[in-house]
Amino acid sequence: MKKYFVTTLTGITMVALLAGGCATKGAVKKEEAVVPVVASESNEAAKAAEIARAAKAKADADAAAAAAAAAAAAEAKAKQDAEAEARNRALAASKPAGSLVVAPADSDQDMVVGRRNAENSATASVTTVSSFEAVYFDFDKSDLRQDSRDVLSKNAEAILKSYPSSKIQIEGHCDERGSAEYNLALGERRAKSAQKYLTNLNVKAENLSIISYGKEKPAVTGNDEAAWAKNRRAEFVVVK
Amino acid sequence: MKSLWLLFFIMILPVTLYAQTGQIEVTASGNRLLKLAVDAPRTTAPLANPATAKVAQDVLVNDMNVSGVVTAEGRSSQPDSRDLLLADFNYTPWLKAGFDMLVKGEYSLNGDRLTVEFRLFDVINRKMVTAKRYLGSPRDMRRFSHQFADEILRVITGEKGVFTTRIAYVATHTGNKEIYVMDWDGTNPLPLTKNGSINLNPDFSPDGSELIFTSYKRGNPDLYRRSLSSKTETIVSNRKGLNITGSWSPDGGKIALALSKDGDAEIYTIDRDGGRPVRLTINPALDLYPAWSPDGKRIAFVSDRLGKPQIFTMNADGGEVKRLTTSGNYNVNPRWSPKGDKIAFSRMTDTGFNIFTISPDGSSEAQLTTEGNNENPSWSGDGRFICFGSKRNGGDGVYIMRADGSGQMKVSQSKGKYFQPVWSSR
Repeated sequence: MKKYFVTTLTGITMVALLAGGCATKGAVKKEEAVVPVVASESNEAAKAAEIARAAKAKADADAAAAAAAAAAAAEAKAKQDAEAEARNRALAASKPAGSLVVAPADSDQDMVVGRRNAENSATASVTTVSSFEAVYFDFDKSDLRQDSRDVLSKNAEAILKSYPSSKIQIEGHCDERGSAEYNLALGERRAKSAQKYLTNLNVKAENLSIISYGKEKPAVTGNDEAAWAKNRRAEFVVVK
Repeated sequence: MKSLWLLFFIMILPVTLYAQTGQIEVTASGNRLLKLAVDAPRTTAPLANPATAKVAQDVLVNDMNVSGVVTAEGRSSQPDSRDLLLADFNYTPWLKAGFDMLVKGEYSLNGDRLTVEFRLFDVINRKMVTAKRYLGSPRDMRRFSHQFADEILRVITGEKGVFTTRIAYVATHTGNKEIYVMDWDGTNPLPLTKNGSINLNPDFSPDGSELIFTSYKRGNPDLYRRSLSSKTETIVSNRKGLNITGSWSPDGGKIALALSKDGDAEIYTIDRDGGRPVRLTINPALDLYPAWSPDGKRIAFVSDRLGKPQIFTMNADGGEVKRLTTSGNYNVNPRWSPKGDKIAFSRMTDTGFNIFTISPDGSSEAQLTTEGNNENPSWSGDGRFICFGSKRNGGDGVYIMRADGSGQMKVSQSKGKYFQPVWSSR
C-alpha cells in the first residue's frame, strides 16, 4: 500500500517536472538538502509558478533597492549594470524548471540573490542551519495541515535514515500578531504537534526535544500574510 | 423606588462628597484645575548651582502636570529682599498671576552634600501648607524633587504620589532582548541583563528591590530572580518546558507563573525560591499570564479553553473559575489595579492591540487607547497611572497614561523597540 503511494507520488512528481514546474524549494535553494526533493502535491506545478511570480515581484523590488544602494556608492553605469543584472535574474527566476542562478562575485548582487533564495527556501532561517524542511501552520492553530504532514513524513524518513541516533530539537515559532506571551505557549503547542507526528512515524521519542520561541525569532521580517505564513512554523535542528 | 434613589442622591451623596474633600482648603472656582507655580529653588550659600535648581523645578512641574490634579508651571519670581526667607514673602504677584498654590525651595551645596528644603504655599489663604527638608548628595536632587511631588499630591488628594518609582522593560538596543530599569519618567535608564539572549516579562517584587523575568540564556525559557542592588541572579524555576509570565504575589511570598512541565502551559504558584509548586489550572488549554488581586485572594489569567485567548479569574488555590472578558476575540495581559477595582488588559482589535479596563465582575469595560498598537498594561502603585508598550505615530516606546486613559505620553527617551513594561509598586 505504502509502496503504491510512493510510486504514485513519484509519478506525479515526474509529471510535474515534465510540465516544467520544478521550482521547488529544494531546487532553488543553493545548499545541499539532505532530504530528497519530492513533489508532494499534484498542484506542485501551479504552486511553483506562483512562487516564481512572487519571486519576480520580490526581485523587482530588490532590483530597485539594489539600484538605490549602488547610486549612493558607485557611478550611474554601475547602477545600470546592477539593475539590468537583477532584472535578468528576476526573469530567470520566473522561468520554470531548475533555472538556478549562480551568484556573481559582486557583493551587492550576492545579497539580492541570497535574499531571494531565502524567500524561496522553506528551511531558510536567520538563526538556525537545518537540514530539514520547516512545517507551517495557520494563524492561532497548532494542528497539522496536509502539506505539513507531508513534510513531516519526509523529515521522519530522513531522520530514520540519516540521523537515527541524533538528538533533534523541534522549535515552535509564531507570527508577530498575537501577544508575545500567548505565542510562547502556542509555539510550544506547534512544536509538540510536530513531535507527536514524528514519534507516530517511529522516530524515537527520546531523541526529540521541543522548545518554543514564540514570536521572538521570526524567519523573515515583514508585516503581511506572506511573512506571517513563513513565521508560523516548526523547525528541526540537530543538536548533537 | 425611583424617588427613594433620588432622595438618596440628594441627601446622602453631598455628605459623602464633602467628607472626601482633600486636606487642602484651596478650591479653584468653577471647574478649572488648581494652578501651581514652581519657583526654582534658591540658595543662600555662596555656591550656587543653577542646573541643580533647574532639575528640581523641571521635575516638580512635570510630576504635577502628569498627575492631572493641578496644572503646574515653572516660574521665576523677581527676587526681592524678602524672597529668600521662605516663610515670609510677597504673595500678591503670584495671586495676580492666577496661581492658587506655589512651591518654593532653598538649597545649599557644601562639597558633596546637598541640603534642600521645599515648601508648598496656599497663595489664596496666604499660608504654608507643608514643608520637607532633604539631605543627600547633589545627584539626589531629582529624587528629592520627586519625593516632594509625592508630598504635594498627598496634601491635595489625601494620597501620596508614586513619583519615586521605576519601570522595568524589555528593549532591543543591543540587538537582543535585554531588561532595563528606568525612573518612571524615563530618566536614568540602566541595563539589568546583559546576557545576549532573549529576556522577557520582568516583574517587580512588592518591595521593589528585586525582579523576576524569563530568560533563554541557558537555552530554555527559565525564570530568574535578580536583585536591583547587586548582580546576584538566581534561577527560580528551570522546569522542563516553559517557565514564563512570572508574577509576584502581593505579600512577596509566592510567584504565580505558567509552566508546561506537565504538557501544555498551566498556571502554578511556587515559593519565591521556586519550591513547592502548586498547580492551579488543569485542562488541555493554554493557561498563562497570572495576575494577583491586591488582597492575594484571586488570580486573573489568560486561557484559550473556549477557543480564543480570553481572561478568566479564579481563587488563588485554583477554585471558582469565572470568565471575565466576554467581548472581543483575543484578550490578554491582565493586570489587577492596586485598589482591586479594575483589571487592565489588552485586546486585539482590527487596528492592533488596545488597552482596556474592566471591573473584576465583568462590568464597566472601558477602552483607554485607540491609536497604534498597545500592549502589556501595568499599574502604578497608587492606581493613578498605567504604563504600557506602544507602537504609534508618536514613536514606539514605553508610554504612561492616567487610569481613565487621559494624559497619554511617551516616557522612554531613546529610540528603539520597547516591550513588556512593568511599574514597580514602590
